[in-house]
Amino acid sequence: MRITPAAKEETRQRILAAAIDQFRQRGFEAATTRDIARQARIASGTVFNYFPSKEAIVLALAADALNGAGEDFANCRRSGASLEEELFLHVSSGLRRLKRHRTYLQVFVQAALSPLVIVGASGDVDAIRVNHLQQAQEIHSDHNQPEMSAVATQLYWTLYLGLLSYWTADQSPKQEDSLALLDQSVSMFCEWLRRESSDQTREEP
Amino acid sequence: MTTTVSELLAALPDDDRAERTLREDPRFRQIYHELSRRPMPVRAFSRLWVLSGLHAQIAFAYTFHWIRGWFSSAEDHERRRLETHLEVALKLLETMGYLRGAVLKAGQTLANFRDLVPDEIVDTLSRLHFQAPPMHFSLLREQVHNELGGEPEEIFAEFNTEPFAAASLGQVHRARLKSGEEVAVKIQYPGIARTIRSDLGAILTLMAPFRLTKDFENNKQQLQTLFEALELETDYEHEARLTEAARALFAEDDGIVVPRVYPQYSTRRVLTLEFVEGTHVDQFLKSNPTQEQRNHFAEKIMRAWYRLLFRGRMDYIDWHPGNFLFRDDGQLGLIDFGCVREMTDAEWEWTRRADRLMQTRDHAELVAFVRDWCQIDDDRRHEEWLRLAVEYGQLSWAARIQDGPYDYSDPDPLRRSTQLFGELCRKRYTRAQRVTSLFTRQELAHRALFLRLGARIDIHPIRDEEVRATGWDHG
Repeated sequence: MRITPAAKEETRQRILAAAIDQFRQRGFEAATTRDIARQARIASGTVFNYFPSKEAIVLALAADALNGAGEDFANCRRSGASLEEELFLHVSSGLRRLKRHRTYLQVFVQAALSPLVIVGASGDVDAIRVNHLQQAQEIHSDHNQPEMSAVATQLYWTLYLGLLSYWTADQSPKQEDSLALLDQSVSMFCEWLRRESSDQTREEP
Repeated sequence: MTTTVSELLAALPDDDRAERTLREDPRFRQIYHELSRRPMPVRAFSRLWVLSGLHAQIAFAYTFHWIRGWFSSAEDHERRRLETHLEVALKLLETMGYLRGAVLKAGQTLANFRDLVPDEIVDTLSRLHFQAPPMHFSLLREQVHNELGGEPEEIFAEFNTEPFAAASLGQVHRARLKSGEEVAVKIQYPGIARTIRSDLGAILTLMAPFRLTKDFENNKQQLQTLFEALELETDYEHEARLTEAARALFAEDDGIVVPRVYPQYSTRRVLTLEFVEGTHVDQFLKSNPTQEQRNHFAEKIMRAWYRLLFRGRMDYIDWHPGNFLFRDDGQLGLIDFGCVREMTDAEWEWTRRADRLMQTRDHAELVAFVRDWCQIDDDRRHEEWLRLAVEYGQLSWAARIQDGPYDYSDPDPLRRSTQLFGELCRKRYTRAQRVTSLFTRQELAHRALFLRLGARIDIHPIRDEEVRATGWDHG
């Protein structure tokens, strides 16, 4: 019997919903794919047709959550906002979407940070990275800035992952320390951009 | 090069060169040069700069003492250069976590010393005063969302994205509730309260090498009091409670307006208050008020202070000018109760004793009071300390000791007080009750504000009316 794309998507969503429940109840480490399959009312092996590992489930959850963040960002933009404010909003919109997964999101951060993971090894990590940086570049362009250099892009992504890593383990009330860290990181990055840009201008004959 | 603590301490003026200017002091110039070159604040050093001498919140007075010395004989071009250095230093400091709040407070208070500090400095500080380094709206949106559970646009009928005032450790935005009331929403920078706590630990660690010096424990307690006060200012629920308590003390015919609190829109980090119209002291003075109008507002301020003290057992510590609103209808707006101190029984007893000696005007009683306050024993080596402290006390309370109207517009007593304060610090005569630093800040700021107002008022009738609430009989 052929499975329709709609049925496939429905199963995928059932697995993701069951995984969220299991991760919350038992924690990421203790939750098993067997438990997830049982709750999703599918055979244990079927989970692997959709996700090769528990880690892959988390990456899919993160990617799905972040898909809606772009729209949130667009809704909250306001005219006259500075580059700092917009980059902050870009990241904070994502954090709000990711919030329900915060306690087990370290998996995503580790996957994205690990030197052993090469670009292309995880489709979801790559998709998240490309989408996020593309939007950051668009914000940059909206503020009449030249295209971000490779160094600037790398610096930005590193700061972003550092923030995410901090946020997933942030014990402060309502993760207020992460907000302060985000504010200061974005400020620092924009200041660095301005310096880079003025250095380039000076070097031009 | 990293500036070390020893260099910092070496830069503090000592007895031999109290009157030397910064221009002549290469070490201090070097420190400022270092500061101005640094792209990012040197956290530990910059904090120490503010926190040095164990008088974080009253560092402004010491700084002021220095500033006055620096500029007294400097050439114009040198003044400009020094002003730039100061501005750079302040800008660096204001980027640092809660020190944004501490620097803001220093600026707010220094701005009062308008005729004693060069205009350029005052202007820089005034900018800090009413235009705190802003939280942009995206950050503010997250704070409101986290605290009130929705977007500012959803919770309020209107929310102004630009702040209209700096609050200690945050900023204030105008908004309108869906029920129509105009409000001021005070929003705190995230994480500041806990930064203060961790910094106290760091500073106490840094102070460890001094633990064997005399008065270490006492100075540590004073520092702790400052931090506790600063930390308490970050608790807006506490401020809401005190604002409500203060509001209940005033009737309509007092002509003193304390804003209403909207608890359903308030948390520990967001405080929503009734918006109180009125101008600040600068604008009031620009309108060229008559002496009568100046006195009228000074009397209202004293009335408010005594009412809070005698009837509410609350000490309104924070006399920076932004907290007083001068209204066209003659009413006084009193805002910001974050730094109001609820008096302990011991502090209440000190207050009773101080009030008594101001009534009896008995010099021996004043000396005994100062001796007890500073724990000065009979040792002859402490005679100078006692003499300076008594003079400081006499100047602080002159308006309440002297008969009839007191002329606050004479700058000399305030000048002498700041000189004395500097001298007491330099000579390390800093042992005192743990709340001394708060009271010093209050006293200097009070007189500086009235100096700017040019007030000439008789405090006694106000005190006599308000003291009835205490039931004290000094007879």
